Amino acid sequence: MPEELILEMKGISKSFPGVRVFEDFDFDLRKGEIHCICGENGAGKSTLIKMLSGAYTPDKGEIYFDGSKVALTPHSAMQIGIQTIYQEHTLFPLMNVVENVFAGKEVTRGVVINQSWMVAKAREVLKYLHSNISPYDIVGNLGSGGQKTVEIAKGLIQESKVIILDEPTASFSQTEIEHLLSIIRKLAERGLSVIYISHHIEEVFKIADRVTVIRDGRKINTYVLKGLTEQMLIRDMVGRDVSLFYHREQVPIGEVIFEARDLSGNGVKTASLSVRSGEILGIAGMVGSGRTELAELLFGVKKAASGEFLIKGKKISMRNPLSAILHRMCYITEDRQSTGLFLKHSLDRNIPIASYSRSQSAIVMPADDVRMAQKYVDSLRITTPSVFQQAMLISGGNQQKVVLAKWFATQADIFIFDEPTRGIDVGAKEEIYRLMEGLLKQGKAIIMISSDMPELISMSDRIMVMRGGSLVAEVQKDEISEENILTYSIGGSV
Amino acid sequence: MNSNNSVRRFMKHENMSIFLVLLFIIIAVYLVELFVVRDGNISKVAFVKPMNISNVLMQISTTGILAIGMTLIMVSGGIDLSIGQMMCFLGTGMAFLLRNKGFSEPAMVLTGVCMAVLFQLFMGFIISRTKLEPFIVSLGFMTIYTGLTYLITNGSEITISDRFTFIGQTYINLTPSFRLGLPVVLLFLLTVIMWLVLKYTKFGRRVYAVGGNENAAYLAGINVKNFKLLLYGLNGLFVAIATMVLLSRTGVGSPLMGSGKEIDVIAAVVVGGTALSGGKGNLWGTFIGVLLLGCISNALNILGVSPYWQYIMRGGLIIVAVLLSYLSGLRTSSVTVADRKEQPAEIKGSSVHAS
Repeated sequence: MPEELILEMKGISKSFPGVRVFEDFDFDLRKGEIHCICGENGAGKSTLIKMLSGAYTPDKGEIYFDGSKVALTPHSAMQIGIQTIYQEHTLFPLMNVVENVFAGKEVTRGVVINQSWMVAKAREVLKYLHSNISPYDIVGNLGSGGQKTVEIAKGLIQESKVIILDEPTASFSQTEIEHLLSIIRKLAERGLSVIYISHHIEEVFKIADRVTVIRDGRKINTYVLKGLTEQMLIRDMVGRDVSLFYHREQVPIGEVIFEARDLSGNGVKTASLSVRSGEILGIAGMVGSGRTELAELLFGVKKAASGEFLIKGKKISMRNPLSAILHRMCYITEDRQSTGLFLKHSLDRNIPIASYSRSQSAIVMPADDVRMAQKYVDSLRITTPSVFQQAMLISGGNQQKVVLAKWFATQADIFIFDEPTRGIDVGAKEEIYRLMEGLLKQGKAIIMISSDMPELISMSDRIMVMRGGSLVAEVQKDEISEENILTYSIGGSV
Repeated sequence: MNSNNSVRRFMKHENMSIFLVLLFIIIAVYLVELFVVRDGNISKVAFVKPMNISNVLMQISTTGILAIGMTLIMVSGGIDLSIGQMMCFLGTGMAFLLRNKGFSEPAMVLTGVCMAVLFQLFMGFIISRTKLEPFIVSLGFMTIYTGLTYLITNGSEITISDRFTFIGQTYINLTPSFRLGLPVVLLFLLTVIMWLVLKYTKFGRRVYAVGGNENAAYLAGINVKNFKLLLYGLNGLFVAIATMVLLSRTGVGSPLMGSGKEIDVIAAVVVGGTALSGGKGNLWGTFIGVLLLGCISNALNILGVSPYWQYIMRGGLIIVAVLLSYLSGLRTSSVTVADRKEQPAEIKGSSVHAS
C-alpha cells in the first residue's frame, strides 16, 4: 500500500459561538487510498468536509496538501485539486453533461469554445467509468446515480487529486450503489484519494482501505480495514457524555390512542406504529432514512399510497393536515422557520392560527387572540417584550415555544415532534423536555423523531428505528442503549 | 402618561408613515398652488375647494374598489395583472348585452358579475393547482381579455346613452357645493366591510397566514389551494363592481376603459404598505394609497403640469414609496440575520453541548 500522504490535518480546532465542534483533530489521507469516515448524526462530519473544501476556516491547526502547508478557500481547494461532492446535487440540471463537467473550465481555441474536444474528452472519461451516459444528456434527466457519476467525471476531467463524497448513496438503488462503489475503486487505482462518508456500514466494509471514527469533533480511532469488526466501529461511535442526558419523570402509560398500519408512499417503504397515552415513542434513524417523510404521512401532509390510520381503535381517513388536526393531532416540524412560524407576524397572530381549524365560529375577536397568546407566553415562559412582537425577532428557543404554543392551543392529544430541540440552547432544551413531560401527565401521546441520541434515549419510552424508508426495529425501554439503536440504524447485526 | 402611550401607539401604527406622506403632499400642493399659481390669493385656491374634493373622490372610486380585491390577493402572496383588461372586456361586454342583445339592466348586472367571478375562478384554479407564477398566468389572461374585448367591440366604443345610470350618477348633496357620489359611498362601504372581515373573521386571518407562510398555513389546517381559488373568485366580484361603476358613470363601454388600471391599482396597494411577498398589508393603507395617487394626479392637473411630466412624476413617486418600504424592511430583517448568526446552520442538526 502506498504510504505517501496527499492530505494531512494537524491539531485542528474549530468552534462556533458557544459550541466547540472540533478540538485538536488530526487526520491524514494517503495517495490512492479510500478513507471512510464514520460517526453519529452530529459527530462533526459535515464540519470536517466544510473545512477541507474551504467553506470553513479552522480556528487553529494546519492543513498540508502534497507536503506543503495550505490555507483553503473554496476557490483554492478546487484549484489544488480537492473536489467535494455534496449530498445534494450541485450540478446545473438544465445543462448537458459536457457543459456541466467543464463548467468554469471550458476549453477554448482562441475565443471560441472547443466543443468537439470537450465532448471527446467527456466521452472518454464516461467510458472509463463504464457509464452509458451520453455527453449530450441533460443532467436533470439523469437519476441520482447518474448525477453522482457526472460529478465524479467532473472531478476526473478537472484533474482532482482528492475527491470527497458526502453520503453519496442516499436515495440510491442497490445496483446504483454497486456501480458507484466500483467507480470509486477505479479512482483509487488511478492514484486518486477518496474520502468517503457514509451511514451505511456495509458500504464502508466493502470499500474502505482505512476507517476513521469521529465523535463530538474528536478522532476516536483510525483503523486499517483488515481485522476491523462492526462491533469495534459501533463501540467507538457511541459513548456520549452522560451529563447530556436528561432525567425524565415516568408517567403511567395508558391505552393505545394512535395507530398506523402498513403505511407506504412519500419515500416510506413500509411502516407500522402505535403510541399510547402517556408515552413517548422515539423514532431513531440516520439522516435521510425517511423519518420526516414518515411524519408527513402520519399528519396527512402527503397522502399515503397505502395503509390505514386508527384513533382509539377507530379507523379514520387522513386526507390532509386539516383532518389530522380535527382528530386532535399536531405536528411540530423540524424546520420551525420555514414550516412552523409566520415570521412576519406577531405572536398573537401566530399562536391562535391552528386552533381556528377546530373552531366552529367564523368570527375571530382580536382581544381573545391576544388573551390566548398572553396565556401561552406566560405558561410556556416565552421571553418576548409583548405578544405584539414579530416572531422573527425572538430567539430560536422562544420561537420553538411559539410553535408549541400554536399546537397546545388546539388541545391536541397526539403530538408528533420532529427534532424538537434542534438548534436551541441547553437551557431552552430542558424547558422543552419539561413541557413534553407536562403533556404526558395530561395523558397525551408523543411521537418524537430525533437525531440527538441523548435526547432519544433519555426521553423515549420505546424507540423504533428507521432505515432505508422502513421501520426496521422496535426497542423496548429496558433494551434501549446507544449501541443497540446505532446498530439498527446503520444496518449492522445485533 | 396614558394619553402619552396612546399617542405613541398611534404614531407607531403601520399606516402612519403613508398617512403623513399624504398630509405632506396635500399641504405642499396647497402651498405651491397658493404662492406659485394663484399669487397668494387664498380664495382662488382650487385644490381644497369642496367641488374639487368631491371630484377627486369620484375619480378614485373605481381604482379604490379594484384595490380592495388586489389587496386581498397580494396579502395572500399572489398578484393579478389581468384586472385592467378584464375591466375592458366586462365593460364592453355588458354594454353590448344591454344595447345589442336586449338584456334588462338586472340581467346584464347578473351576467357581468357571473362572468367576472367565473373567469377569475378559472384563473385561480390554474394558479392554485399548479406551481405557475400568478404573475405570468395573469399576464396571459390579460392578453386573452384584450382579444375578447376587440372581438366584442371591433375596436369601437359601445354607448349605452341614458341607461344604467343609477350606480355611477347618483349623488348625495351634502352641501350645495359638496356632493358625494354613490361610487364613493360604495368604495367606503366596501372598504369598511372588508376591513372588518380581515380583522374579525377566520377568513381574514387566513389571508395573512397563507401569504405569510404557505407551508405553515397548510400544516395549520388551511386548505391553501381552495383558499386561493376563493380569493381570486372574490377578486372577480370587485372587478365586476368597479366595472359597473365606471360603465355607469361614463355611459360608454370603451375597449380602453380599464387599460393600465392594473398599474395604478398595484401601485396604490404597494404604496399603501402591502408587501409584494405577501403576509402584510391592510385596507386602510390601501385606501390612503389610492387617495394619495388620486391627489397627486389631481394636483398635477391643477398646477398645470404637462400630462407627459405627470407620468414621470407618478412613476417616480411609486418608486420612492417602494424604496421607503424596502428600507424599513431592511431594518427589521437585519435584526433577524444577526439573530440567526448565533447558531450556524450545521450545528442546528447536531446536539449542542454544554461548554
